[in-house]
Amino acid sequence: MEKLMETVVAILGGSKVTLELFLVTLVMALPLGLLVSLARVSGMKLLSRLMELYIWIMRGTPLMLQLLFVYFALPMIGIRLSDITAALLAFTLNYAAYFAEIFRAGIQSIERGQYEAAKTLGMTYTQTMRRIIIPQMIRRVLPPISNETINLVKDTSLIYILAMNDLLRVARTIVQRDFDMTPFFIAAVFYLAMTFVLTWIFKRLEAHYGKYDA
Amino acid sequence: MENMMHDHDVMLRMRQIKKRFGPLEVLKGIDLEVCRGEVLAIIGPSGSGKSTTLRCLNRLETIDSGSIEIEGQFLVKSENGAAVYAAPAESRRLVGCMGMVFQQFNLFPHMTVLENLMEAPLQVKKMTPAEIQPAAEDLLKKVGLYEKRHAYPSRLSGGQQQRVAIARALAMKPDIMLFDEPTSALDPELTGEVLKTMRELAAEHMTMVVVTHEMAFAREAANRVIFMADGNIVEQGDPQTFFRAPKEPRTQAFLKNML
Ligand SMILES: Nc1ncnc2c1ncn2[C@@H]1O[C@H](COP(=O)(O)OP(=O)(O)OP(=O)(O)O)[C@@H](O)[C@H]1O
Ligand SMILES: [Mg+2]
Repeated sequence: MEKLMETVVAILGGSKVTLELFLVTLVMALPLGLLVSLARVSGMKLLSRLMELYIWIMRGTPLMLQLLFVYFALPMIGIRLSDITAALLAFTLNYAAYFAEIFRAGIQSIERGQYEAAKTLGMTYTQTMRRIIIPQMIRRVLPPISNETINLVKDTSLIYILAMNDLLRVARTIVQRDFDMTPFFIAAVFYLAMTFVLTWIFKRLEAHYGKYDA
Repeated sequence: MENMMHDHDVMLRMRQIKKRFGPLEVLKGIDLEVCRGEVLAIIGPSGSGKSTTLRCLNRLETIDSGSIEIEGQFLVKSENGAAVYAAPAESRRLVGCMGMVFQQFNLFPHMTVLENLMEAPLQVKKMTPAEIQPAAEDLLKKVGLYEKRHAYPSRLSGGQQQRVAIARALAMKPDIMLFDEPTSALDPELTGEVLKTMRELAAEHMTMVVVTHEMAFAREAANRVIFMADGNIVEQGDPQTFFRAPKEPRTQAFLKNML
């Protein structure tokens, strides 16, 4: 029993790194993704094409590769990042690209009549996006954003290749030391708990934004 | 002097408006003047360019050539055959003199009725909620929807939504109101309440341009009727003469079908 508690505490320690990576990535990638999606629909050709290229690279290569690239390649050109910063950079750039595509699809699903109504009322493009289009878009993209966010929880385990003591690595270390599978089950419970909380939060958000639906 | 007086009373002037969508010439040289307080009804078969005419007025479409004056100021003028638009801010100001009511209402679904009315005055005129709310509530009383002020559009009937849309446009205090088939998306039993609101507006001498299939409204509420076909104005006149004795064969054929 005492040993079990010890294991739980150790894994709890590991989950700090996991949680930090998850939360910081989310907080940075969501606004960055929104900016990228706005650049994509802005009508500025060059900017839009550049963002398209960025999204293509980020979605077309494995996150693992991007992670290794940031971790090993940047020091070669003289940029030294701490382990967690390197991981955050790779994760943010990757997830921003996925979020950007979701936001873009959401923006493009809003009827043209909304833009026209705003325009005939004298609103500028910026006002229209900020007050009319983006709020409606957010409501529509909640389900796919929720999916991506749950993927992010699980993707955080990728940083174990950077020798960072995240939830999964801590669990594996104990398994290898004790020849006992229990830590894996405890790790699974941690991941499930996080996903459970997220699912609940998104349900609440959908209910909140859904109040104007018929 | 007389001429100046006259000019002052012309709210809208379109000259030789041409507009094409790709190979299709949709407006073939529209000339149109609307005077202060006038209610103009535009009728005509589907695809004749009625909506496009309205949409060119408030710059939802860009014209290819011709000129548009709004209250004596050029939204777009003709220079060497090309259409040259006013600078963005000036253009927005002129378009802002006109309110638009759409067939599909286009209310903002994520805002309550009251918020729909207050949004543009808040954002565009930078008014405070305290400044705009009383006027917005008065407008809602006027269209009979004050009790619904905290409801979301999805909870309203089509007729109620369209009356909110009219009130929303009026909240910007436009000098001219444009209507594009405001009752066409409504069940027949709901058109009456919207037409009533429009009649009241006409009685207050609002300058109105109304694209409509409601012949009764054109006959009773309009000062002038315009018949469009194939991107041209075929015939126009005061409603009595126009409906009793249309001159052009195309008008006669159209009216015969409508009645
Ligand atoms: N954005 C567009 N792109 C291409 N063609 C268009 C576009 N908008 C309108 N048209 C075409 O222009 C013509 C005139 O359209 P418009 O909507 O002005 O007609 P209308 O008189 O309002 O007809 P209705 O009574 O059906 O509303 C039609 O042939 C239509 O198909
Ligand atoms: Mg039309």
